[in-house]
Order: sequence, then structure tokens, then C-alpha cells
Amino acid sequence: MNGLFGAEPADVAATWVAAIVTLVVLGALVGERRVFGWSQHLLAGLATGFLALLAITEVIVPRLLEQLATDPAGRADLWLGVALVGVTAAAPWVPRAVAAVPLSIAIGALAAFALGGAVVGTLLPQLAASVARPEPTVVATLAGAAAAAISGLVLIGFVHGAPRGRILATAASSGRWLMLAGLGGWLGYLLFSRLLLLVDRLAFLVGDWLGLVP
Amino acid sequence: MLWRMASPLLLLVLAGALLLPFDLGLRLDNADSSATRGLNATLDRLPADPTVLVGFDPDLGTYAELRPTVRVLLADLLARGARLAFISLTSEGRALAIAEFDRLDRLEANPRQIVDLGFLPGAEAALVALARGLGPDPAQRTIGVLPEEAELPQLAMAVVIGGNDLGPRSWVEQVAPRTDGLEIVAVAPTVLLPELQPYLASGQLAALLATPRDGAAYRVSVELGPLERMVEPAPPPTLAILLGLVAAVAVLGQAVAARLAIAVRAARSREAS
Repeated sequence: MNGLFGAEPADVAATWVAAIVTLVVLGALVGERRVFGWSQHLLAGLATGFLALLAITEVIVPRLLEQLATDPAGRADLWLGVALVGVTAAAPWVPRAVAAVPLSIAIGALAAFALGGAVVGTLLPQLAASVARPEPTVVATLAGAAAAAISGLVLIGFVHGAPRGRILATAASSGRWLMLAGLGGWLGYLLFSRLLLLVDRLAFLVGDWLGLVP
Repeated sequence: MLWRMASPLLLLVLAGALLLPFDLGLRLDNADSSATRGLNATLDRLPADPTVLVGFDPDLGTYAELRPTVRVLLADLLARGARLAFISLTSEGRALAIAEFDRLDRLEANPRQIVDLGFLPGAEAALVALARGLGPDPAQRTIGVLPEEAELPQLAMAVVIGGNDLGPRSWVEQVAPRTDGLEIVAVAPTVLLPELQPYLASGQLAALLATPRDGAAYRVSVELGPLERMVEPAPPPTLAILLGLVAAVAVLGQAVAARLAIAVRAARSREAS
């Protein structure tokens, strides 16, 4: 069903392991939570191990150490990278102010790029797109106007603490209800995605593992 | 007691629905085909032998929903002669990419059409560096972002497989403003539809497949020829999905009815007092 496993003995073993772990997770639905808890630990451990493996084999060695070994004098910036990796690895034993440097750089860069991107890539283009304007069809024009009106009401709904008149308070209340409706719709989509995952896992058990579905 | 039995009963019903040899005529592919038309129009604009950057960052919790469509899209691009350069910015995406590479290898996909650019750490900053590295001026290539052996010619398009933190929205925010005219096509789980639909409407995404129905409509629209072997043999089980939805609506209805009952009882007690 998922096509990730072939017919070699190792693939058959992988299918069995996947099936057993799937059964363990589904077992939580019938009250078997202890083994399910172990599977969560297993997942966390595997994810951490895989991330460490990725960091070493695809980042630190090929993009840092190998390049330094090739040209140690020509890449001063990479020495800075080595220093940051070293400080991160030694965080429990170095002064807190020093250990905070790589983390601060990471968080600062993340915030800066995310904020800048949100403004340039989302806020400005979406503001421009939400301005109601004549469209080729009446329906499209009305839809655009409705989108602009809803955007405005939801934005007003975020106004807190300011003195309000009756009209503004009604608009803010409408905006909050519209936002709640949007959140409800989003939760419905989330439920649908998770349902598809459940059905896919059952299809894996019934098809790939038990072979009951051709 | 009945409530405790509900979960295993639901599992049994869904598993039983999977075993049925019929689906009551339920079809996912008879949806509005505008998403499919948009995607096919974008793919038709590709030049001959294009290079397509594939941002592969689905997550384990939603990849089951995307998998059939992603595989058909990859096969479609390969059938069009595209060279696919895969890059992942999350560890989950990288793990799934490795699994898909293994599958493509087993299915004897042309290895010259597939380039593995690996895992790129750094989240949003990495996307910025990637976008700079993809520019037309090689001097601006950010050293260390891409392997030296993976020199890419002018990119024709970017396909983003979403689901994780760094999905189509991040590509629209970080890559699109820095790459002149690079079209971005997204395949994303249903849960991201409300987030991504505005980008499609504003033209920041060239095409978007974000529901199982859109995916199914696209899958039946594609002629893959010899690459048909890359398609999943079994379509998504529509009857089981429908039963699951009915169960979900029943649970929701039960919750609403319980709240209503409490409200009615409270009103009656107020009247009585």
C-alpha cells in the first residue's frame, strides 16, 4: 500500500516491525497505554538519533570538516562554525553567557528571516490581494468584497482594550465569531487529515501486512 | 461501556470497509478540476528537459494523504523529461525523501533525472541562502549550501511538498521574493488548505493540490505511459474514509447534543425555581 518496502527479506522484516508498532499505537485506543508510552519513547529516540546522524553525515562532516581539511587557511568563516559547534556541544560545561551565543544567533536569525519574510511574502501581497476591486465576473467581485469585509472584521476583532462605540464593538464581536468559524473549519480539515492517516495505517495492516487486499 | 467500545468498533468497521470489494460508487476524482487544470497548465509551460527543484518536506502525520499524488506528480515530471533536484529542510522530510529515493531506485527510475541535494539545515535562513544560491550569478552562490557536484542550470520551477514547518508558505515568503519569476507549485495536506489558498488566489503559488479530491482528480488526468509503474496500485479507500467521516460527525453531534441538553436542563431548572 505505501510501497516503501520491497520483497527482500529485510523488507519483509521491516513490514513486520512497522505492523507491530502500528498495532502498539492503535492499542492505545483500546486502553493499552503502557506499551504505547514505550513506543512514544522509541519514536523520540529514533527521531533524535536520526537528526544527530543527519547533522553529522550531511552537515558537519561534508560542509564543515571536509572543506576545512581541503583548505584550512582559506575558510576563516568555517572556523567560526567549528567554534559554534564546539560551544553548543560543550554547553553544559561552559559559562552560560558563552553557551547562549550559538542559540542566540540561531533564534535571532530565525526571527529576523521569519519576520521579514512574513512582511514581504505574506502581509503586503495578501493586503494587496484583499483589497476589493472589480473582477471579471460578478461572483468574483462579490467574493473579493466579502473577503475584504471578513479580513476587516477579523482585524477589528483583535482590537482589545480600546474605547469602543456600539458599531465598533459589534464589528469586533462579528470578527471574533468569524475567526472562530475559521478555526472550526481548520479543525475539520485537521480531523480529515488525521482520519486519512488512520485509514492508511489500517490499509497497511490489512493489505501490506496481512495481504488481505490485493 | 458503549463509549469505551466505540474506538475498537470504529477500527473494526474501517478495517471491514477496506476488505469490501466495492466502494458503493464513491469516487474522489469527480471533484472540481480547477486545481488540476491549474497544475497541468503550469506543467505544460515547462521548457524541454527542465530542471525542477523539489522541496521535499512532508511530515509523517500527513504524508499518507499526499503520497499517492506526490508519486504521480514525480512520475509526471519524470515523464516530461524533467531533472528533479530534491532538497529537504527538515529531518522528517529528509527521512521520507530517502524512503522515496529507495522506492524510485527499486522502480528503476532514470538515475540521471534525479539529483539528491540532501538536507539543508537552518530553517528560514537556509531557505534564504538557498534562494541566493539559485540566482543566475554563480558568484552569489552561497558556499556550502549546495554540494559542488550538484550545479543546477536555470531552474524551471519549484515543487514544494508540504506538511512540515517549512512548507509552501515559507517558500513563498523566503524564496519567491529572491528568485525572479520562479514558479512555485505546492502539494500539501488538507489541513494546510486554509493557509495556502490565499497564496494561490494572489498568484504567489502557481498551482496547489491540497485536498484528496484535488489529488485524485489530478491523478486520473495524467498519462504516464511506461512510468505508470510508479503509481500506487490501490486508490484511497473511499468507503472507509466516508465511514470515518460519519463517525467523526456522530462524535461531534454527540458533543453538541450533550451541551444542548445541559443548557436545556439549566433553563428548565431556572424556570422551576
